[in-house]
Amino acid sequence: MGDSQYSFSLTTFSPSGKLVQIEYALTAVSAGQTSLGIKASNGVVIATEKKLPSILVDENSVHKIQLLTPNIGVAYSGMGPDSRVLVRKSRKQAQQYKRLYNEPIPLSQLVRETAVVMQEFTQSGGVRPFGVSLLVAGFDDNGPQLYQVDPSGSYFSWKASAIGKNVSNAKTFLEKRYTDDMELEDAIHTAILTLKEGFEGQISGKNIEIGIVDASRKFRVLTPAEVDDYLAEVE
Amino acid sequence: MTKTTIDLPPKGGFSFDLCRRNAFLESQGTKMPKFRKTGTTIVGLVFKDGVILGADTRATEGEIVCDKNCEKIHYLAPNISCCGAGTAADTENVTDMVSSQLELHRYATGRDSRVVTALTMLKSHLFGYQGAVSAALVLGGVDVTGPHLHAVYPHGSTDTLPFATMGSGSLAAMAMFESRFKEGMTREEGIEVVCAAICAGIFNDLGSGSNVDLCVITKGGKEYLRNYQQPNPRSYTHSKGYHFTSGHTAILSSKIRALRNQVRVVEGDVMEEE
Repeated sequence: MGDSQYSFSLTTFSPSGKLVQIEYALTAVSAGQTSLGIKASNGVVIATEKKLPSILVDENSVHKIQLLTPNIGVAYSGMGPDSRVLVRKSRKQAQQYKRLYNEPIPLSQLVRETAVVMQEFTQSGGVRPFGVSLLVAGFDDNGPQLYQVDPSGSYFSWKASAIGKNVSNAKTFLEKRYTDDMELEDAIHTAILTLKEGFEGQISGKNIEIGIVDASRKFRVLTPAEVDDYLAEVE
Repeated sequence: MTKTTIDLPPKGGFSFDLCRRNAFLESQGTKMPKFRKTGTTIVGLVFKDGVILGADTRATEGEIVCDKNCEKIHYLAPNISCCGAGTAADTENVTDMVSSQLELHRYATGRDSRVVTALTMLKSHLFGYQGAVSAALVLGGVDVTGPHLHAVYPHGSTDTLPFATMGSGSLAAMAMFESRFKEGMTREEGIEVVCAAICAGIFNDLGSGSNVDLCVITKGGKEYLRNYQQPNPRSYTHSKGYHFTSGHTAILSSKIRALRNQVRVVEGDVMEEE
């Protein structure tokens, strides 16, 4: 491919007008475990696979869905350590906003600031882009919202989206099932069914993680017991 | 690496570059601006189930009361609160900053904040500024290790006590505590002693006044009792204005003049338009 000569340097465009390193970063994301999010009329749900490399890993210590502020949470697909850096930066930015304006940060502002950080790493020397896409879910004064942020720094607001492995099947499934007046409980069931579609092995509360935020504006990650209850309902 | 989008102030203490110039101006007769101090009586005590914090509500600017009902009990964490005496801006900003840092710490650790964490953050910050940040605090809360109460001084030293008072009214309040405090009081007894201590400050210290604010923190949660006691109610002028019943003013003489009252009915034609 003619692009391969331009693929080593992040800050050099290829003749076809692409930054090949960003394309490769997106490939890294597509190799990551599936995550998806659905925006309902009264809340948002995000879910992710939590396949651990060995049965000896203590699954209680692994938290893939993290809280950024009391009403905003995030899931990722791709390189876990990269997501940790972004989560830390976003949490700090949210606190700085609150100190400056005495107002909890609106979700769109937090997403934009995170995207700006990700873009900076595509236009600097000596660094590489982040190998993660993030699904940010929250409930603020503008209602429930779901955003996806890519390694290039571009972000979109979605009604429902999936990232990682198996993304095309998951998106087709979501397109069929999504309705605008869906409620949060239906959204959770749909999210579980979508994850189940591409899941290898036995799905249970121990190998998926689900985070929800409803009108109470408190984002929380469901306990494995609660996830098992929802799985039983879906059967 | 490019800079992040939000510029933080430069790290480190205050810049004292202008101090000599300010001292010179003052010696030449320029009036230095007065800053808002909280004068204050703030107290805390440990009771059977947790901690009770109390504060008055007067803020002064020199000799003038600039706020008759300010809030001196600040939020640090869902289970920790802090009363502040000294310069109002200093206490508010230092507690806001530590509250922000505690929230980030909670996300990173996944646990509730501990009172000693807040204490260490506050004292490190105050010590770094070598007393220039004039904030004297009474910090109290309940965490996994139990109820805690600390007094923090502007230079960064701390005391850990079962009962503490700070501010200009601290002596009046401490007198009440020393005579009435006992270990293991109930909530009602604790509230009574705290109110007595704050009222002692309100009535005997010029820098303290107005109302009593309380904050009761237990394992089950925090209860912020704003204006729990109001021993100095304000009397406002009546909305209908001043009203004097008759008999208030002495009558020296009276003269009655009847107005002539005549009505004459006259027949007439309807007015014609030209």
